[in-house]
Amino acid sequence: MTRTRRLAAAVTVVGILAFALPAGASAASTITISGATGSAPLVALLAKKYVKLKPGKVKFKLAQGGGEVGVQDAAAGRVTIGNAARDPRPSDPSGLVFYPIAKDFFCFDTNPANTLPNLSLAQAQAIWTGQVRNWEEVPGSTITGTIDLIGRTAASSLPPLVQQLLLGGKSISPLAALKPSDGLVEQSVASDKNAIGFNSGYYASQKDVHAVAFEGVACNLQNAKSGQYPGVRNYYEVTRGKATGAASAFINWIQHSAAARKIIASIAIPLN
Amino acid sequence: MEPPSAARSSPLGENRRRSSPPGRVFARLREPWTDRQAAWRLGAVASLVLLIIVLMVAFVAVRAWPVLQANGWISWLGTGGNVDHQLGQMIATGQHPPDSAYHLRAWPLIYGTLLTTGASVLIGLAFSLLAAIFIVEFAPARIRAVVVPAVRLLAAVPSVIYGLIGILVLAPWVGSHLISPGRKDSVQNVVQIDGTGVLVAVVVLTVMITPIMIAIVVDALRAIPPAWTEGAAALGANRWEVVWSVSVRAARPAIVAAAVLACARALGEAVGLSMVSGSRGFSPNPVDGITYLFEPIRPLAASMVENVDAINAPPVRASIYAFALLLLLSSLALSIGGYVAKLPMRRQGLRV
Amino acid sequence: MTIVPPTAALRRDAPRPAPRGDATRGWRWSQRLALVACWACGLALCAVTAAIVVYMGVRGVQYLNPELLFSRPTPGLQQHTTGGILDPIVGTIVLTVIGIALAVPLAVAAAVWLVEYGRPAPLARAVESGIEVVAGTPDIVIAIFGLAIFQLPLFAPLSFTASGGGVFGRSFLAAGAMMSLIALPLVFGAAREGLMAIPTHVREASWALGKTRICTIRTILLPQIRTNIATGSALGMGRIVGDTAVVVVLLGATLQLERQGDVPILGNLRGTGSTLTSYVYGASPAGEGNAPQKAYAAAFVLLLIVLTLNAAVDLLGRRKEPRA
Repeated sequence: MTRTRRLAAAVTVVGILAFALPAGASAASTITISGATGSAPLVALLAKKYVKLKPGKVKFKLAQGGGEVGVQDAAAGRVTIGNAARDPRPSDPSGLVFYPIAKDFFCFDTNPANTLPNLSLAQAQAIWTGQVRNWEEVPGSTITGTIDLIGRTAASSLPPLVQQLLLGGKSISPLAALKPSDGLVEQSVASDKNAIGFNSGYYASQKDVHAVAFEGVACNLQNAKSGQYPGVRNYYEVTRGKATGAASAFINWIQHSAAARKIIASIAIPLN
Repeated sequence: MEPPSAARSSPLGENRRRSSPPGRVFARLREPWTDRQAAWRLGAVASLVLLIIVLMVAFVAVRAWPVLQANGWISWLGTGGNVDHQLGQMIATGQHPPDSAYHLRAWPLIYGTLLTTGASVLIGLAFSLLAAIFIVEFAPARIRAVVVPAVRLLAAVPSVIYGLIGILVLAPWVGSHLISPGRKDSVQNVVQIDGTGVLVAVVVLTVMITPIMIAIVVDALRAIPPAWTEGAAALGANRWEVVWSVSVRAARPAIVAAAVLACARALGEAVGLSMVSGSRGFSPNPVDGITYLFEPIRPLAASMVENVDAINAPPVRASIYAFALLLLLSSLALSIGGYVAKLPMRRQGLRV
Repeated sequence: MTIVPPTAALRRDAPRPAPRGDATRGWRWSQRLALVACWACGLALCAVTAAIVVYMGVRGVQYLNPELLFSRPTPGLQQHTTGGILDPIVGTIVLTVIGIALAVPLAVAAAVWLVEYGRPAPLARAVESGIEVVAGTPDIVIAIFGLAIFQLPLFAPLSFTASGGGVFGRSFLAAGAMMSLIALPLVFGAAREGLMAIPTHVREASWALGKTRICTIRTILLPQIRTNIATGSALGMGRIVGDTAVVVVLLGATLQLERQGDVPILGNLRGTGSTLTSYVYGASPAGEGNAPQKAYAAAFVLLLIVLTLNAAVDLLGRRKEPRA
């Protein structure tokens, strides 16, 4: 009878549920990561390689959201690893462990239509505090019109670093549009010829934006490596308490293996 | 008449009960319900829905509590400072932040909500009233056969599609055709404008909610007894006078109810508006004249979607739930408002 | 109070006699102007609809290809590296099935209880207004409420416990449960309408034959309102398919369907994923992905699904009409 069959099916489903729940709870091979959009491409490359090296042992779930989100998610236990893109602060939730994995640089970037050769500290301050609002007043600019400032939302760790390292401690004007990720800043700058934004190295090196030199030093990997370019920050993997199990193995691999170092060197700066 | 209250289980059930243990369980389940059991069980299911709603209000209120407590019940709705900055400060405050971390003045977001909702409901109301009159009274059958499915289709299109059209078609067009460099310069020290903003948000939201209003108004106009309109016509009123002073007047409560329901929908629209509103916690200033229409805003619901990534930071979480509480209470009030608005029509025996 | 799907009225298409020929003779100018405005609004409606459908159709045909439909999405920064939309399509279907499978029994049970038993009366009234409140609650509020619920340790089996100890609270099961709340009022309204439309003498005849109330419901009433339930479900499915907020908040909105644990189907249900709506949002300039062409393609598929459901509602409604 169909009803009996239906009931049997229901019982089977319940049975599967009963079996599956404990099994699912014990499967610890998935590493969930959220956080910094700047280091996301790097971590994605590393994770891809790591999965290849240990087939079937480990899986990754990558989300972005911004560096501050990564720190909060790790603290709340929502993810295994948070991607942080700044140094630890005293105000951070207690019990977090920051594992440094790489260094990266960040640049001011403009639309390719505006091949601004250089920004001095004073010019950068004037632009980003909103004192200068027209490209006509910026020497070297190849366009005219209002300056569109493209900033980041507070979920990002980048604005404080830009203020500290490239703007001499001056605050970014509240006029700036707030974008939730590095990718969106890149895209906004690429589509608006009046725009200026700031981006981590990977995004600022894309062809659809123009990375602007700062104080006469071109913003690129070499200058950042050599220490000439000042806009450099650390990337961390953050865990709640000491990393354990698969996460610990992954972080250890990033920090010590030659393969990981090669990947890091391709788009960012390896430690030491 | 009442049904027989036979509470006996069928003999079939009795037989099955004596079979093997798993069979017994099956038989138990298969046994027909008695009426009392049925009333009880179905009632429990129905009450479950009620329970969920009570839980919803309770959960949202409890989670919102820290913000209400730290800012005062009312004052967090007020003005003061830059709300984007305040929400930003909340992210990096640790898992046990002090009361000061909850500082929030959400007025720009509320203003954005009121502005988009109000404007789109007003425009939509005028439009839907005329369109409904057209559908019910004036449309030739052939055109009606096109308009009616069109309205239904518009009502069914997901908001994210409207948002997509808004951000990929309308906003760039507004940005390049309606916003001149001069206009941009005129507010360059206050806000940056790029196409997304009040105008596009209101247009998109109006298109979203108008079909709902049309449907309700059409329903009400159809419910008007023909005797009333025929009576008016017999007294020498022309067709428009009949429509306007009899049908529309009698359907006034339903029109109000339509506006109320549309308000509820517009208040809660999150993703569509997040795409086209410009996404700044900014209060456009009417003094700016036409430029006002291009200035960015961000309604409450859109703010919730955009900040949900950072929900593990306790102050952000409390703020998001505070926004949710505000929306929940408003939609509750609107539900009641809609019900009350329809009472007069119901009293006259019209089913709407 | 009645919860009739807002568009239900349009289906009852009882045409009034249209004005003939010189009908506006003797009208005042303001009245003629108003008439013109009515026509303008009606035609504008058609124009807007046509514009949206044609535009989405053109873009969809332009950017949609079989490869896109059947390949999985991958995160990427350039449009050509972001893969297809297979996972969002599957996600949409799975989520809709879960949502409607939960909503229909709940809604039908509630409607049956309300119409056929409905005692104690105050409770019945409360349930009725409660469902009306759910109907008016913004989806984002329902989503955020779901997050609060499913992050409780009690519900850890529905999603998963991250290695840090927190409950993730986002999964197909969680999102489906909240989606059922969104579809529930529509199914409830349709089922209730259907039950109330059945004349009392049908029930009385059944009772007179010695059948109990519940037996009458099962064998006489429910088969009668099958079409109503189907219509309500189709409307509810349309709502679920088109909802974005719940997906963004409660489904995790990961591009691919991510399985939790090793059990094939259940693991997927406990895992995260995306739907067409969240894909469109993500691939639009407002989201992370920024691949407008793929957003168009996905939106086109979404629109097709919605149109199909719309047509289904239409057909069901038409089939019901002559019988009633």
